[in-house]
Amino acid sequence: MFFAPLRVPSRIKTFTTTMTNHTSDRRIWLLITATAIIAALFIPFSQLVLHVEYDYTLRTVALGGALLGIVSGVLGCFAVLRRQSLLGDALSHAALPGVAIAFLLAGRDLGLLLIGAGVTSWLGVFFIRLVTGTTRIKQDAAMGIVLAAWFAAGIALLVYIQARPDASQAGLDTFIFGQAAAIIERDVRLIAAVGAVSFIVLALFWKEFKLITFDPEFAGANGFRVNLLSMTLSTLIVVAIVLGLQLAGVILMVGMLIASGIAARQWTNQLGQMVILSAVFGAFAGGAGAIVSAVDADIPTGPLIVVVAFLLVALSLGFAPGRGLVWTLLRQRSDRRRFAAQTILQDLYHYALDHGRADLPAPEPFLLGVRGATAREGLRQLHARGHAQRSNGAWMLTPAGIEAAARDDRNHQLWSLYRQYADDLDLPTIAEDRQQDIADALPPAAVAKLEYKLDTIRNAATQ
Amino acid sequence: MFQLEDLIINLLLNFIAREDLNAFLRNPQHTATIVGSLIAVSGALLGTFLLLRGMSLTSDAISHTVLLGIVVAFILMGSVFGEHPDLSSVWLIVGAAAAGVATVLLTELIYRSGLVKQDAALGLAFPLLFAIAVILVSRVVSDVHLDEDAVMVGEIGVAWANTNSHCLDGCESVTITPEDPRAETTRQCTNCRSLGISPRDDKAEFTQICTNCGHYSPAQAWQAGFTSQEPVLVFWPKSITVMAVLTLLTLLAIVLFYKELKLSTFDPTLAAALGFRPTLLHYGLMVLVSLVAVGAFDAVGSILVVAFFIIPPAAAYLLTDRLPRMLLYSSLIGAVGAYTGYDLARGNLLGIADLSDILAALNNLFGLGLSERWDSSISASMVLMTFLFFLIAWTFSPKYGLVSTMLRRRNQRRSFDHQVVLGHIHHHQDSPAAGEELAVSTLYRHFRWTPAKMQRTLRQLRAGNLVRIDAGLVSLTERGETHAHQFRQTQLTNESVGE
Repeated sequence: MFFAPLRVPSRIKTFTTTMTNHTSDRRIWLLITATAIIAALFIPFSQLVLHVEYDYTLRTVALGGALLGIVSGVLGCFAVLRRQSLLGDALSHAALPGVAIAFLLAGRDLGLLLIGAGVTSWLGVFFIRLVTGTTRIKQDAAMGIVLAAWFAAGIALLVYIQARPDASQAGLDTFIFGQAAAIIERDVRLIAAVGAVSFIVLALFWKEFKLITFDPEFAGANGFRVNLLSMTLSTLIVVAIVLGLQLAGVILMVGMLIASGIAARQWTNQLGQMVILSAVFGAFAGGAGAIVSAVDADIPTGPLIVVVAFLLVALSLGFAPGRGLVWTLLRQRSDRRRFAAQTILQDLYHYALDHGRADLPAPEPFLLGVRGATAREGLRQLHARGHAQRSNGAWMLTPAGIEAAARDDRNHQLWSLYRQYADDLDLPTIAEDRQQDIADALPPAAVAKLEYKLDTIRNAATQ
Repeated sequence: MFQLEDLIINLLLNFIAREDLNAFLRNPQHTATIVGSLIAVSGALLGTFLLLRGMSLTSDAISHTVLLGIVVAFILMGSVFGEHPDLSSVWLIVGAAAAGVATVLLTELIYRSGLVKQDAALGLAFPLLFAIAVILVSRVVSDVHLDEDAVMVGEIGVAWANTNSHCLDGCESVTITPEDPRAETTRQCTNCRSLGISPRDDKAEFTQICTNCGHYSPAQAWQAGFTSQEPVLVFWPKSITVMAVLTLLTLLAIVLFYKELKLSTFDPTLAAALGFRPTLLHYGLMVLVSLVAVGAFDAVGSILVVAFFIIPPAAAYLLTDRLPRMLLYSSLIGAVGAYTGYDLARGNLLGIADLSDILAALNNLFGLGLSERWDSSISASMVLMTFLFFLIAWTFSPKYGLVSTMLRRRNQRRSFDHQVVLGHIHHHQDSPAAGEELAVSTLYRHFRWTPAKMQRTLRQLRAGNLVRIDAGLVSLTERGETHAHQFRQTQLTNESVGE
């Protein structure tokens, strides 16, 4: 009903097949197992070292926190990927007037309060779409308007309600800051049930949601109802937010929503794996945050969950393989070393050749003066590889060094020729990368053509 | 700050009698409106640049993390400097400004890693800082009145009550020393608490201490009965001074760096190439935003202050394309919103409607049993009024409004219809098939329109004296002929230009 009866676009098929990566599959399962083990070890640790008592209240709160972590982790992935991370912030604030109105109309019933919250949040989504669709106001400003105006309406209504003589309104403002201790078993069941329903919707429209997340124009061109689908997805996000309000409060909800998704994003390029991982991270943050906050009665639960989730983000940003900061630093260092070694090798080689013979020494101050720190690093590398040796304050190439330099020099010349004559010689188009051996980048026939060209030019020069 | 207030008061007293000034300031409405307008104007001025730079939500993040700055400054003051923590100290403002800059720095640090998008970086940074602040509040400063509630939801209606007293005449400040005959002394047990004994115990040792020693300002001295002559006083609300200084600072910064701000907002690359230091301006702007946010937090609370940064500039953005006008309009909208918001909190919506009547009507219709007296948060009402002005601007803006866009679209559609019909007639007018193609009764079929639409279009064309109907056949008038001809000409020119 949401999409025209079209064949599955072939582009999506190729996308998923090319993205499948078995090493990353295994990595994800390892990571999930590791998280589960840490979580399992964490419980006895907290009992023995932190002296946490697992009474009924804590069990309920921790279970509720973990369930909420799962729900918001899964749905938060989509908010992160669609660059709507701050939607969570706007919508959690927009829930407040709904709570107040529901209370005015129907009194203190948690289910109805949550429905009211959902309705005004959803109106907020609608307003954001309307403003960005009909004016030149950008999405972030539209979110800001909803955040501030809806929240103001909520405050105005809450103040009006608090002027009432009866005491039944007490505690409505826990929705602003969240109050984990107030979570009871019925709430946990509610979270589980609503979460399950939203997961079913997510599973039913998985392909469509994936498509509008990554390529909405393509989805629209293929006849998918992008607006309707994106409203459905936003509605699911609203559901996650409304469920989380009791625990985290309006301000921290955005952190709960997106942190585990951002952490999961670092470990994988596949949406399915990201969602599962995000759920695991969310559950861990929710559960562990609740348990640690039980160490001392003064520590509020919501903020602690956010801090735990942020620790997961920091770990992921730092250590995610291939992408994390530590890996990037290591790669940059090895790149820098290789580059320095190559450059200085060429410097030494050409200096020596210009003075007559390839094994003539070049004075160290000269090399340092031209290249500075690069020269120091490069000389160290060359020395370590046995390509150069130092004598009397000067550096000269060893036979192995001369051979490497000549090979390298020839490679450079071939690349230069490729740049100059690629069209004339009818060579295949490739990206120029002089760090690479051209024989690896081009087919042998093409390399042979280039080498022939090089020899012709050399011969012409010597004659 | 105090001397500045003296200066302003002396200046004002040239124009207004002291009693009138006191009466004016003691009126909650006046003070609330002045403070609200000042917040609105400074917020709107800064918010204009934030909106144009696409970082409206940064103000939201900053206004939250200001709490962390306040808490940290609070703790440092207590433990390191040993001062008595005071919510109106300068150090808190410094801490808040630092927290604002820290938020921006942390966001950029996360974003620069290249692993996280900009919006997500902001969404990570400020909940973290806010969470830390909340944990610190509950752990460290639980004994002082500083909770999230006080910071998040302020009340501008009580701004008038928090005053500095300025003495003009008969000023007699009093210092009571233990030797003074007016000093009241009492005996206090010095070792009771450390030994855990009662004052009646034999071992208890006593000293004389003075209970009312210290320095009394003229107002306090008069109140305590130490002076016989009533001093001439002016009570000046503190928040007016704070917000006035911040507004002036904002205005000054914008006037001085107008050219730089404008350039770095619209073309940061050019600004950098010309050596204008856009990064420095960026952080300067963030410091100003943090200062206004912290200055406003005890008046309107840190969530509602966001409204003044975002909503008025957004409304002004729909009204004009010129930066100076946008600055002017957004300040005006903010100030008028603050002014009318006070009335809304008392139930009066722009003098048009009374919310109490609406509540009564709701009660009558649905029997909800709501309280019929609307008396609500002033700061929230101010925000709601600005939002109302945004809605009005959105609907009625001459260029970008919903109504004008709708009208423009309708006119375009209509003139397109006219052209199509005129072209059709022009094409078939003298052809052999004219009888079939131009019969009024069947004309609509050739366009696949409804008969009603055809009728309407023909009516409009006849009213414009472009077509005439003779014996059931439609044909062009002379004017219509020229019109169709002209249209054809421009079409041809456009096509040849296009090629």
